[in-house]
Amino acid sequence: MTISGLGPHGERAAPPERVALLPEDCAEAKAAGKRVAVVLHTLNGDWTKLQITGMLGIFGDCGVVVTDVVDCGFSANRQVAELDRLIAAKPDAIVALPVANEQVAAAFRRVSAAGIRLVLLESVPTGLLPGSDYTALVSSDNFGLGTMAAAGFAPHLSQAATVGVLGFAADFFATNEREIAFTNWMQANRPDVRTHVLRFGTMDEAADLAERMIADHPEISGFFVVWDTPATAVSARLQATSHSIVMATVDLGEDVAVNLAAGKPFVSVAAQQPFQQGVVAAQTTILALLGRTIPAWIALPGIPVRRDNVADSFQTIWRKPAPREVLRLLGLAM
Amino acid sequence: MSLSTTYPAESTRSRAKGRPRASETAAPSLMEILNLIRGERATTRQTLERESELGRAVVSDRLQLLSDLGLVDESELGHATGGRAPRLVRFSARRGLVLVATLDQTAIGVGVSDLSGNLLTEHHEAADLTAPAAQLAGRISALFKWCLERQPTPTAPWGISLSVPGTVPAGRDDAFMKATPPVLPAWDDFPLVETLTRQFGVPVWIRSSVETMTMGELHAGAGHGLNSMLFIKVGRRIGAGIVCDGQLYRGAQGAAGLIGALPVTSDGVTGTLDLMAGSDMIQREGCALAESGRSPVLADLLRRGAEITPIEVSQAAQIGDQASAAILSKSGHLIGQVVATLANSLNPEMIVLSGTLVQTNDILLAGIREAVYGASHPLVTRDLRIIRSQMGSSAGLVGAARVASEALFAPAFLKDWILQGKPTLHPDFVAFRAHVEEAEIAPETTRLSPPTGHGSIAS
Repeated sequence: MTISGLGPHGERAAPPERVALLPEDCAEAKAAGKRVAVVLHTLNGDWTKLQITGMLGIFGDCGVVVTDVVDCGFSANRQVAELDRLIAAKPDAIVALPVANEQVAAAFRRVSAAGIRLVLLESVPTGLLPGSDYTALVSSDNFGLGTMAAAGFAPHLSQAATVGVLGFAADFFATNEREIAFTNWMQANRPDVRTHVLRFGTMDEAADLAERMIADHPEISGFFVVWDTPATAVSARLQATSHSIVMATVDLGEDVAVNLAAGKPFVSVAAQQPFQQGVVAAQTTILALLGRTIPAWIALPGIPVRRDNVADSFQTIWRKPAPREVLRLLGLAM
Repeated sequence: MSLSTTYPAESTRSRAKGRPRASETAAPSLMEILNLIRGERATTRQTLERESELGRAVVSDRLQLLSDLGLVDESELGHATGGRAPRLVRFSARRGLVLVATLDQTAIGVGVSDLSGNLLTEHHEAADLTAPAAQLAGRISALFKWCLERQPTPTAPWGISLSVPGTVPAGRDDAFMKATPPVLPAWDDFPLVETLTRQFGVPVWIRSSVETMTMGELHAGAGHGLNSMLFIKVGRRIGAGIVCDGQLYRGAQGAAGLIGALPVTSDGVTGTLDLMAGSDMIQREGCALAESGRSPVLADLLRRGAEITPIEVSQAAQIGDQASAAILSKSGHLIGQVVATLANSLNPEMIVLSGTLVQTNDILLAGIREAVYGASHPLVTRDLRIIRSQMGSSAGLVGAARVASEALFAPAFLKDWILQGKPTLHPDFVAFRAHVEEAEIAPETTRLSPPTGHGSIAS
């Protein structure tokens, strides 16, 4: 699977294999006895839990102790405060997912200035540079995810269909890339399709915006929402109306998987690999702590999910069996 | 169709007799005070009076005017040193925005910066520079609109600055571009400057990618604060950006630093540095190694159906493939020999190496370093630092933003818009814009509009 996007500074992606650990790396890391803190936007949700699981396993295998796993509750102020607290505690490295852009940039700069290795997940606050301000970014190929969702969505759209695109209002690399890629793919490959774009600031707002968009453009027959949690909220709200739509999104949450198996309204999902991303983030951190050369951007390809591969894709992504309801809807279980 | 000479020139000359206009007396001191604040050479009223040698009443009056125009802000307090805390005078860098874009052979980058050249948003995506010019221009334009929509506070753009992969001839003394320079063969006859001016209503500047990346490194990267620096970009073409006395040196025709055209000799063969050491050579020789089996790593990749690009050769060299390492080493030595000549001529404090290969391949970097240190006078290399750029393609965007911010506030341009409050009201630009809007639109430009019914967001 190729990576179609470019990094936050136009970098070409390095594949996850580039940061594979050799037995001697693990031995060296064990002997060094390093400490790492993990700072995430939230600790709720399967995506986050699986990332942490992936990270903790690799860190444990290599004798790296995780001293903190911080929940920032999507709050920039809280993230800044937590980073400053961790700087004082001086771990050897911090793995962090920035919850905002400008508001947290200075705090992230202070991390590197304090001599702490910084590995970022998913997004880089504008102005931070690899090498000097952070070690590396580990993310999904978010541009590829947007493209993948659009390509899977297109066969379900009639000629001259109108699609609502719900982006994220915060200036966030991952969601920006998905939105740009989706609309770009549609223009290049389905120029007959009209798109209308709005951006939500909160999960609740996504459903409100979808309703408003349909009121303004009753011809809308499909929605692309930049990740699954707000997409599910949109789906739930619209099911209460008589408006018939199809939907595409990024990430295979449990609700989306059930919908996909049922054949409506979700018909196309581009899924990240959170467990694998956690593994790669931990490997990157360990190699950075050992002083190895690290690429500026390591990207993981997405997985295109449709009704016919939702059960096995769920297993690949979440490392557990697909929900019973999914199997039942696919005729694979009673 | 050239638009550069057909619109009426706006007179900005002083009146021949009688008392001068208030604007004519205020503008010079306004400019001086604004640029002292913008360059952070003065941050309080006291330091402004000292640095400008203007009286308290004049400084106070000009600050009030600049504040009314939204160009300075005095809301912040500084540190007290005994008495009352002084009120800080800051440049309102968010008064306007600069739209920036970089184009290279395989990608475009777009961004938005404030008026101090700080990037606020950036996005990069793959692109084919051989695609029709109207198509690429349309994509840049759509992404610009997307960038503007992403800003939390709606703010008007004040300028557009582009970085392109070719030499941009130094123009006359125009403060902004009034015609599209002949940069790329595929873009011949496409009125890019005129199109962007028409769409966004702001002045446009274009510089070569080497120039903008040099500016980026000088102002926001490894070269920050340096007086002398060499920036070397290694790709299909190899070029140098030269910084002397803290300023980018463009040369008489804007062609300074075209080192890729210099002849070099290796293994009895003479050719230009571009041909003998650029990424095309690395790819060509890598393919030969793969096909002949002299590189087991590249031959294996070829068997598996992979395309052998300079990246594959570089990665093979990094994991110990000797034949691939020899190619990178040869390239590094040839580049280093030419860079050493420049270093001996200019005696820079730092050499910054940029380009995907040189930023990721230690063998190429080592080859360049070895050749520069080996062929330079000991005094030249005594404190010389040779480093890799950490900015990637952001250097071009940051540098393009600096090109625009320096041009917007250049005294010759600033004096005729400062009293209007924004550069888009500069008389020359107003005249140019009116002419562009009236001018016949070239057939290609009709394709720039998004297809009917599309949203405006990056579509």
